[in-house]
Amino acid sequence: MIAQTLDIVTTAAILYAVATGLLLVFGVMKIINFAHGGLMTLGGYAALIATQAGLNPWLAIPLAALFGGVAGMAIERFVVRPLYARPLDAILATWGLSIIIGQVITLVFGRGVQFTQAPLEGTLDLFGESYSAYRLALVGIAAALGLALTALLQGTRLGLETRAVIMNEDLARGLGINSALVRFITFTLGSALAGVAGALITPLSSVDPNMGVPWLVNAFMLVLVSGASLASLLAACLVLGGAQVLVATHLSPVLGGLTIAVLAAVILRIRPQGFARD
Amino acid sequence: MTEARRLSLILAVALLALGAIFAGPYVLDTYSVNVLTRSLLYAAVALTVDLLWGYLGILTFGQSVFFACGAYAAGLVFTHMDFSEGNAVLALALGVGGALLVAAIVGWLAFWHGASALYASVITLVLPIVATQLLYSGGTFTGSSSGLSGFMSFDLSMEAWFWLAGSFLVAVTTLAYIVVQSDAGRLLVAVRENEQRCKYLGLDTSRLKILVYLACAVIGAIAGYIYAGYAMVVAPELAGFVFGTELVIWTALGGRGTLLGPVFGALIVDYESAQLAGDYPFVWQLIIGTLFVLVIIAFPRGLLPVLFDIPRKALGLVRKRPAAPPASVTLSTLDAAETQGEEVGDDGPALAVHGVARRFGSLNVLEAIDFEARAGELVSLVGPNGAGKTTLMRCIADGAERSAGTIVINGHDIGRKPPEACVALGVGRKFQMANVFETLTVAQCLQIARARHARPSLWRRARELPLPEAAMHVLATTGLDRQLSTPAHLLSHGMKQALELSMVLALEPRVLLLDEPTAGLTKTERMQIGAILIDLTKKQGLCVLLVEHDLDFVREISSRVIVLHQGRIVLDGSVEEVVASELVKQVYAGSGHAGIAHESGPSTAQEMPA
Repeated sequence: MIAQTLDIVTTAAILYAVATGLLLVFGVMKIINFAHGGLMTLGGYAALIATQAGLNPWLAIPLAALFGGVAGMAIERFVVRPLYARPLDAILATWGLSIIIGQVITLVFGRGVQFTQAPLEGTLDLFGESYSAYRLALVGIAAALGLALTALLQGTRLGLETRAVIMNEDLARGLGINSALVRFITFTLGSALAGVAGALITPLSSVDPNMGVPWLVNAFMLVLVSGASLASLLAACLVLGGAQVLVATHLSPVLGGLTIAVLAAVILRIRPQGFARD
Repeated sequence: MTEARRLSLILAVALLALGAIFAGPYVLDTYSVNVLTRSLLYAAVALTVDLLWGYLGILTFGQSVFFACGAYAAGLVFTHMDFSEGNAVLALALGVGGALLVAAIVGWLAFWHGASALYASVITLVLPIVATQLLYSGGTFTGSSSGLSGFMSFDLSMEAWFWLAGSFLVAVTTLAYIVVQSDAGRLLVAVRENEQRCKYLGLDTSRLKILVYLACAVIGAIAGYIYAGYAMVVAPELAGFVFGTELVIWTALGGRGTLLGPVFGALIVDYESAQLAGDYPFVWQLIIGTLFVLVIIAFPRGLLPVLFDIPRKALGLVRKRPAAPPASVTLSTLDAAETQGEEVGDDGPALAVHGVARRFGSLNVLEAIDFEARAGELVSLVGPNGAGKTTLMRCIADGAERSAGTIVINGHDIGRKPPEACVALGVGRKFQMANVFETLTVAQCLQIARARHARPSLWRRARELPLPEAAMHVLATTGLDRQLSTPAHLLSHGMKQALELSMVLALEPRVLLLDEPTAGLTKTERMQIGAILIDLTKKQGLCVLLVEHDLDFVREISSRVIVLHQGRIVLDGSVEEVVASELVKQVYAGSGHAGIAHESGPSTAQEMPA
């Protein structure tokens, strides 16, 4: 029972960390960034480089943010910016990019599966249950990410301008907000978050050139049911991630893998605004 | 070019293509014949992606699933039941039936009234993921991750398979080409361009999308069935998301909305992949990925149109094209005996609104709206901005809009019916902003408006377009009848308004809803529209409900005026009563400032959104 609750909470935390970057980009730019999976892969390989260089495993996180952020800047400038008026085409172009990222990584690192060093080893005793310390740490990291983003959006001038662009871009531009700059920063930040997410998940599994793709669809569905709000994303991660854990343990792992996608599709059919309040 | 000549030209090209397919095995080496057989089948699936995405505007990632349906039906039947002629027919029936069932479920989920384009794409994205996982979890029945192989199949030579796959591709491409070029095919483009306008022209767009989706599922399943028969192996990857996106990539590279582009895109890329993937697997993928991104950004129409444009431009330098192509459609007035609009209600009101309310959360935009209007009445709806005029129009034209109350059109309660069903009851709605099909010509826009009455042909293009007298009258008065082959986006604002009005009149409505039909028009144009409206009510017996800010205009043409203020009817009476009313002056000018409303007509006309 306690183990299962911990499973649900940690799964939700991982999903939250994976989906925030995508949510940020979708909220501001109304664009689904299908390169998110590719950027996560990039973050995973940043962690691999950190391991191979013998660095402290925690340094993998800023390194992954750097990799993702730099790639995000280039993608925004050369691929996403020309496609603002064509959101469906932007999905395709960013999917093409994730193919490119995957193939370049394959050419450099080979297609084999590799492993990284986890920052935290061993287990922790919690409520009489010994549980993976790293998974528990992820809950703290995801919470920190969520709080930092909320603080950024609610407490800074950039955040105010970003929220203005989310609500009404034309009006925001009319008020002298440089929306192109807001979009650029948002996409860079979203890509950096994708990289971080990639680095965070590698100790749980392994690193390979397509590691981000399976996460992409789940993150995408979570973002769609949450609208543009970090709070409803949290709710969506807990509910759908919880359902995934329950289905996977009690029914079958295969069905568990489908739970988020299928449930989200049904939720959107019944309630198009999903978990968002309106 | 006559219809017969156009169709025989298409058939001649198809025969040429068949000839090329026949010659294929004699000029190509065995390896190429083998690979191309697969490519020909993939191309047929890419064709369905183009029909859905290029023509209908539905970006689909899941066409691979229908291919897998046909392939797995063959694989499962031949593995578990042995191969026989009877079983071969059974497998085909199961494959097509399964694909139809899946497509029906997806269609129900993705194309319901009000679903967004993004949601439909999301559903098609979930589909292959679900399908692959189900195949993985099928154990020995589906062969799990290794799929099924080693089953018996038709005893055909490699050349025969090539001919079969090639003839299938030529047949479906020809059929699809004829359909998209026909009058019915133009509906697909109209739905892609402006689905809302299609619904308000009485077309059931959800049904149309589902029908096309079902047809595409059948094509995919047959291609998959042939594939399984020839390859004698089926694997879960056939249903996968990766194959589904590859189909989209081929379609985008070749040129969406061209049919031939995606077919050649699939043939060339898949064939080259087989040639090069052995030597440079990752580099090849990298090249395709890069090319794909470049094409999406720089040539969204794909490479085939670019190829075709080069010789066309070169030719254009040599000889000048005629400025305006001659009209391919001639208009005629529909015989009054053949009009198919709703009968005039016996004696009851044409439009009865009772207790209608519309709330957005705690905000009451409309409250307790009660009125009736008879045939032959021109009722103007006036009131300041935000009074709820447009919301009321929306509630009358779409049963799902109102929060409470009943609306009866010609004696029929509209209930919760969608816009297209309200059109069938006799409602015609003209939007505030001119709402036409921008890329279609004037004549094509009018044809779409008539599609509800005259079922468009699946293979021919009509040369003649009979229109009801009222629509003809608007076209003749505004001079639009001399611009039939002009694309709508080139028309002036006033002409677009007139075009939309004639499109709505072509529906033969009994209740006409006009939301500021004269907004942004010149004085002369306004007078013309006014005369037409009076004519429609007096002679044709229409019931017209008009939203207007220009009170001078309202005074000239209305038989009755309803004043809305803050979501309620504050006055319902004759023009004189309303003009003389102190209340109306207060409503318009604010209670502190008793400006005279009707004398400030021209200036109030300025406040309308352009």
